[in-house]
Formats: sequence, structure tokens, C-alpha cells
Amino acid sequence: MADKHKPAPMVDEVSDFEVLEVAVRELAIEKGLFSAEDHRRFAEFAHSIGPLPAARLVAKSWLDPEFKKLALEDGFTASKEVGIDWLNPTGFGTPSDYCDLRVLENTPSVHHVVVCTLCSCYPRPILGHSPEWYRTPNYRRRLVRWPRQVLSEFGLQIPSDVEVRVEDSNQKCRFMVMPMRPEGTEDWSEDQLAEIVTRDCMLGVALPHPDRKADDKRPVHKAANPVHGH
Amino acid sequence: MSRGHHAEKATGKGDPQCFRGEAPAPKFKVGDRVRIRDLPDIFYTRCQVYTRGAEGVVAVVTHESPAPEDEAWDNVDEPEWFYIVRFKQKELWPEYPDVYENDTLQTEFSERWLESA
Repeated sequence: MADKHKPAPMVDEVSDFEVLEVAVRELAIEKGLFSAEDHRRFAEFAHSIGPLPAARLVAKSWLDPEFKKLALEDGFTASKEVGIDWLNPTGFGTPSDYCDLRVLENTPSVHHVVVCTLCSCYPRPILGHSPEWYRTPNYRRRLVRWPRQVLSEFGLQIPSDVEVRVEDSNQKCRFMVMPMRPEGTEDWSEDQLAEIVTRDCMLGVALPHPDRKADDKRPVHKAANPVHGH
Repeated sequence: MSRGHHAEKATGKGDPQCFRGEAPAPKFKVGDRVRIRDLPDIFYTRCQVYTRGAEGVVAVVTHESPAPEDEAWDNVDEPEWFYIVRFKQKELWPEYPDVYENDTLQTEFSERWLESA
């Protein structure tokens, strides 16, 4: 009888890495390397960043050839013009990120796509947290070897006369893709252009489209078995 | 407690910028043909197995930094140059379809992993 009153476990499984993270964090706090408050602040900061500054960087580059040149030559400096300083808030890099951003320019003959086969290198200061699929062994293992098949699973077919160039991000450089400006966006403002440069376009698994925005309304699916009266 | 020596070195500059000027002159330049060496990597490496022995072309000379095989053990005294190398996919994966022979893959190496090809 008593067993029935035991609380159910809150999670089914805790991975080794989660245990390691907690252990290292608690040790660091005990040794005074940083405080629990510092940790909370960094976590809150890390979760508040997203892909909008990178979209802005691409939109600006489409409109301003001088800025585009800067973005391709020196991503670190170009980031500052869209409000991202890779050194902040720690003074030596956003938590756990390096400061060498490389922008990969798509052209009519080359399409870039980014992966990190080692684990999850990602330009977080300017793109936010990586999507869950980016960190899966499935994407990491298969993209380097069967890139066109993986891209087609994302719904992206690249013509055979276009070179697909996989960038395996494995050292201190961080990569984002600068897609080509789509047709049908002539006379658009920077704000309008930034809206169609979604996260996936800057990883290279999608192309921007004038009718698709990051904040489009999602389709609503009615519940199959609705609870009556609610 | 004071911050680690890494944080002190990188503050206000960033990493890898804080290692600028510390490596000997780069041995390779953009356009050089290189082969990836198959060095031992008992403890830690960032050199993927699928590139070992493959030949490619230096696409970018990126920056100076300690090699990850050293930096993982806090040996940061001998930074070296890093290179993004471009491979033909066919060179990495023999079964890669001929119809996509132009497809490429780029990844980055510290200088110790490269030899002239």
C-alpha cells in the first residue's frame, strides 16, 4: 500500500552528460569560480538570444554591398553593426563560444550547408541555440556523407549543376550561411527582407522565400478527442 | 578566487584572437594541395577520421590557436596556424554519385595535421 504513495520519478532517465554538467557546475560554485546567481544570469542570457541579428546581417548585406564585403571578410566586426558583440557579456566570449564568425555566401553555383560532426559547434551569439536536430547523431553523421539526401528530407532539392558544399564546423570558427536574395523581393526594405531570412536558411537546409516568414501563423489542428466542455 | 589564466588572456580580445602573433609563419597558403596526416590521437582530437589520408586544397588560412590536442590539457604555449581545407566529396567517399562530382566538403585543421600533397 505504501508504495502507491511514492511520487513518480520526475524524469525517466538522466544522461551522463547531465550528471557531469551538474557536478562541474556545483564544484565551480563551491570553489567560487562563479556564483549560482552568475550561472542563472548566463543561462537566462543564453536562452534569450535568437536568430534575428543574423537575419538582419543577411538583409543588410543584400542591400549594402560595402556591408556585405565586411560581413564576408570579418564576421566579428560585422556582427557589431547588427547589435551583437561576441565578447559580451563575459568580456572574452559569449558563454562557451569562440569569436571567429565566418559567413558563407551562397551563389548561383555553390550552396553551403553547416554541420558539426563532433557535437554542436554553432554561432550561438548571433543565431541563438541550435535546433534539436542539429545536435542529433543522425544529422551529424549523415550530412557529411549524403548531403543531398538529407537536404531532400528537409524539402530542399539542389540542382545537380550546383555544388553542394558541406562545412563541417570542428574548430574555433563558427559558420552561418548567407543565402541568395530571392526573386520577388525587389524594392523591399531591410525590415521586410530580414523577416524571410529564417534560422534554417542560415544553416543551409532551406532557402528564403518571399511568402515565408519566421513568425508566420502556424496551422491549427483541432484535437481529435476534445475534452467536452472545454 | 581569481579568474583562470585563459579568461585573463582572452578578456577584451576574444578567443582565438588572443593568440594572434604567437605562431610561427604559416607553412601553407590558400590553393596549396595538402594531405591529412594520420597521427595518433589517444586522448583527444578534433581531426575527423573520415579525412585521414585524404587530399584537398587549402581554402582559408583562418587563425592562430593552440591545437585542440594540446589545449585540452591546458598546453597553450605553442599555438599554430589553422586551415580550412576543401575536399571533393568523391575523395572522401568513393561511393559518392558521379553525377554530383562537383560537391565538396570543407573542414578545419591545425597545421600539424597537414602535409604537402
